[in-house]
Amino acid sequence: MKKLFTLERIKALSYPAFKTLMIIHFVLFFLVVLVVSRWHITVPGFSIKGLYQFPNIWTFFPWVASWFNIFLTIVLITLVGNEFSFRTFRQNVIDGLSRSDLITGKLLFIFTIAIYTFMMVLIAVLIFGLINTKDITFNMMLDHSYLLFVYFIQAIGYMTLGLLFAMLFRNTALSIILFILYFPVEGIIRLFFKQEARRFFPLKIISNLTPRPEVLTMASETDYTGPTGTSQLDFSEIGILPEELPLGLTVLIATGYIGFFIAISIILINKRNL
Amino acid sequence: METILKINNLSKNYGNIRAIQDVSFEVKKGEVYGILGPNGSGKTTTLAVVLGILQANGGNFQWFGEPFTKQIRRRIGSLVETPNFYPYLTLWENLKIVAKIKDAPEDDINYALGVANLLKRKHTNFGHLSLGMKQRMSMASVLIGNPEVLVLDEPTNGLDPEGFAEVRHIIQAQAQEGKTIILASHILDEVEKVCSHAAILKSGELIANGKVGELLSTDETVYIQAEKLGELMVLIQDSDLATNVYKEEEDLAVVLKSIYKPTDLSKFCYEKGYPLSKIVVKKQSLEDQFLQLVK
Repeated sequence: MKKLFTLERIKALSYPAFKTLMIIHFVLFFLVVLVVSRWHITVPGFSIKGLYQFPNIWTFFPWVASWFNIFLTIVLITLVGNEFSFRTFRQNVIDGLSRSDLITGKLLFIFTIAIYTFMMVLIAVLIFGLINTKDITFNMMLDHSYLLFVYFIQAIGYMTLGLLFAMLFRNTALSIILFILYFPVEGIIRLFFKQEARRFFPLKIISNLTPRPEVLTMASETDYTGPTGTSQLDFSEIGILPEELPLGLTVLIATGYIGFFIAISIILINKRNL
Repeated sequence: METILKINNLSKNYGNIRAIQDVSFEVKKGEVYGILGPNGSGKTTTLAVVLGILQANGGNFQWFGEPFTKQIRRRIGSLVETPNFYPYLTLWENLKIVAKIKDAPEDDINYALGVANLLKRKHTNFGHLSLGMKQRMSMASVLIGNPEVLVLDEPTNGLDPEGFAEVRHIIQAQAQEGKTIILASHILDEVEKVCSHAAILKSGELIANGKVGELLSTDETVYIQAEKLGELMVLIQDSDLATNVYKEEEDLAVVLKSIYKPTDLSKFCYEKGYPLSKIVVKKQSLEDQFLQLVK
């Protein structure tokens, strides 16, 4: 494991595109949360500050960060695609790695990147949350913090899907284009299914791990949060937000999809010539 | 002598295309074994299968008398086809990856770069090297971990005469150290100068194997003319004089066995009632013999 991790570290850290995309990812995320924090909503009774306070920030920041997961997936596809283009997967096997090692190395990479983005969001949440929340309590701080772990699973979900695309098409540009195209394609395919079934498609499940925050509730300066900690303004009920699966079930299905993406990637690398 | 590699009836297809068919041969310890054949004859496929890069469709192979495993792979240094390295990494970083994979000490990197005469370039990106340097870099990577066996596929591919000589010098030096070397090439001169044994492949089939000296001997070829050349050809074929007899334009080409001389052939023809009107003796080049074998 340590050896595979070291190999991936050498391969990634010396790759200019990796460094560039990671810097873009980091800067864009902080830029977006900073710029949004400066917005002033002119609607009386609403303030953007509510999104930056505990516990709302645990929902808002992972949701913002989820949009940038595409960068992380492109980084992953680029690195795996390079292995095929430079025929270095083949060389690694010639030198003594097994085909399983190749996949394990990339999964370690995915895990490491997911930890990085987890830490990035965690630090951002703590900084912005502590600055913007008044009368903070420890319980308030931890409330909904589990959403960050759900975001971690989402990052892994997107990247394992990217890994599958890279393994299937073995070409960086083609894999990235098809991965991006898969978003609208799955959206169109979903239209042919009943509302109930639409919620179970892979991208739908993975994207729903960080659901769109109830911005209206969070930005409201009136406290609509009931004694159970949930919003008393049920926007789903009035049709503003679509009804989704419970988060626990979504996590479970997403984990199943992640396992499926990894399993197919393993089969592909074992069955096909390098 | 210990058998390093034993291949039994190995076959590999790419869809409907037969790449190799029932190829069998053995490589013994200390041999420099050439796999010779024209482009597309199955040399690279054979090596790719025995190195676990491609899956065989039939047959089997053993390294050191055992099935191929990860541990055995580390006893083999391999260069297959073009050099495959990360172009954005330096030579040192690329070899560090190889050393990590092979669990070899980092000291090996400087040694290998030194042997390949690339020590001064250790901090240059691989992508910035010339073709000759890239090929030498491949040789350096093969040496990491001090493997017992070197498997080299076209190691002088695309090199100029100087680069060719440099790589050949490295191979010969490794052979002198007692390493077993398996060298695939379509360049006869390369095999002749470096190898002790060879297998010759043609269209995926093994057509000959053995000691290079026996496979590609420098026997004399005698070009003769006489009346009724067809009848004389049959007589010579039935005799013990020649290893090969064939028509070449107006002449009959007779490859004499090394124990016979052209005068023996002339005497034989005269005694059989076919006096020769022309007799020209030529030493057959290795290239002629190779082309004849793979024709």
